[in-house]
Amino acid sequence: MLGRRICHCSITRSFRVHARGLASSAYTDPTRGKDESVTSTPADITPEQRKNLEGALRVDQAGEIAANWIYHGQHFILRRDRKTGLLIQDMWDQEKKHLAVMDKLQLQHAVRPTLLTDVAKVAGFGLGAVTALMSKEAAMACTEAVETVIGEHYEDQLKELDEMDTKHPSIPLLKDVIREFRDDELEHLDIAVENHSQRAPAHALLSAVVGAGCMVAIELCKRV
Amino acid sequence: MASSSKLLKLALPFVRTHGFSREALARSVLELPNGEAHSEPLSDTAVSSLFGEGDNARRTLVNAWLAEGVRYMQTAEEMSSPPPQLREVLRIRLQYNEPVLEHLPEAFGLLATPSSGFHVIAPFPALKHAGRIADEACYAIGDQSLHLSWYSKRASIASIYTAAELHQLVSPNTAYTFLDTLLETSQTVSKSLDEVSLFSDYVFKGWKGIIKSSGIQL
Repeated sequence: MLGRRICHCSITRSFRVHARGLASSAYTDPTRGKDESVTSTPADITPEQRKNLEGALRVDQAGEIAANWIYHGQHFILRRDRKTGLLIQDMWDQEKKHLAVMDKLQLQHAVRPTLLTDVAKVAGFGLGAVTALMSKEAAMACTEAVETVIGEHYEDQLKELDEMDTKHPSIPLLKDVIREFRDDELEHLDIAVENHSQRAPAHALLSAVVGAGCMVAIELCKRV
Repeated sequence: MASSSKLLKLALPFVRTHGFSREALARSVLELPNGEAHSEPLSDTAVSSLFGEGDNARRTLVNAWLAEGVRYMQTAEEMSSPPPQLREVLRIRLQYNEPVLEHLPEAFGLLATPSSGFHVIAPFPALKHAGRIADEACYAIGDQSLHLSWYSKRASIASIYTAAELHQLVSPNTAYTFLDTLLETSQTVSKSLDEVSLFSDYVFKGWKGIIKSSGIQL
């Protein structure tokens, strides 16, 4: 279902990228380092909205850390397979950029990071390495399951942010950044499907286990 | 009738003279602007209904005073155009304690005693107090710590501040010198740890090179 939406998202995005550049460039372009939208946090939101914003950014940052380490684990095992190694490296590079932006968002909005950072690293590396040891297809099935949950999670966050009533420019920018990252994650999902994720042994079971693990991790990181 | 948060703010100057007492809360209405000001302090029943029964009203006052202390630290940010130094921010917070120093042991004792149940010392409010100050200090100095170092940075500042504040309660005149000594020591420890970590990194890389050169693929 989400895989079907990817093509549409990617096309829409490529037009948007050409039209006005990536939203995340606001955080990576040093010339925009003094914009209010990347240096301050809204003061006109309710304590409930502040709590939701902090929870959302905490989970996003933890998710990007875990994604980085999943690709690290996969790359560590599959790096000698030239084609798969390069594919994983490309996706990993994109996740590195996502994490760099999430780190800046954490500082900008003064958000407490999750205490489970190291757990996310170890679990992510383990998941990536174990599925890669099973087979290339299992590694792709892991990517498919993880990116499906992350894509849906970003989609839910966009709906939550739409309800936030603030005049501060950081929130529209945050929505654009999340939209961009959601599209990137869905592209990864598409790549995994194109590279035979569904041929992995016990694909349905593997997807269900990895997906459920991701959802538990999201709930844990929101709170801890 | 003014809101309880407004009255709490007006009660804070009375802490100097009346301590963290219900009396200080009752007198808040005397400071209301002309036309709203009362001629008499609030009755005990009114204090209870606005701020809580018994010692709970005093706890409300202590918490409001602590929250004001965090806001007071922001004056350090406003005063200096580049971000202030940690030393300045913590000094400003210690200065905020000075006028009410004699009442502070009682206030911290009150917070450490649970409002209901057994009379045991609860460390959570003290940790929360130090944590809030450390967090505000990090924000003021523009700290860029991420992930777990976010926690270690705050934990080290909270420990330094708590030690300096305890010292201030016993010996107010030497508190600032004590704070400076603690900050210097922590810097030295941090530098030494960095050097150890750099050395370990070299050793690790060295071993990796030796293993690789012996023909084992990593």
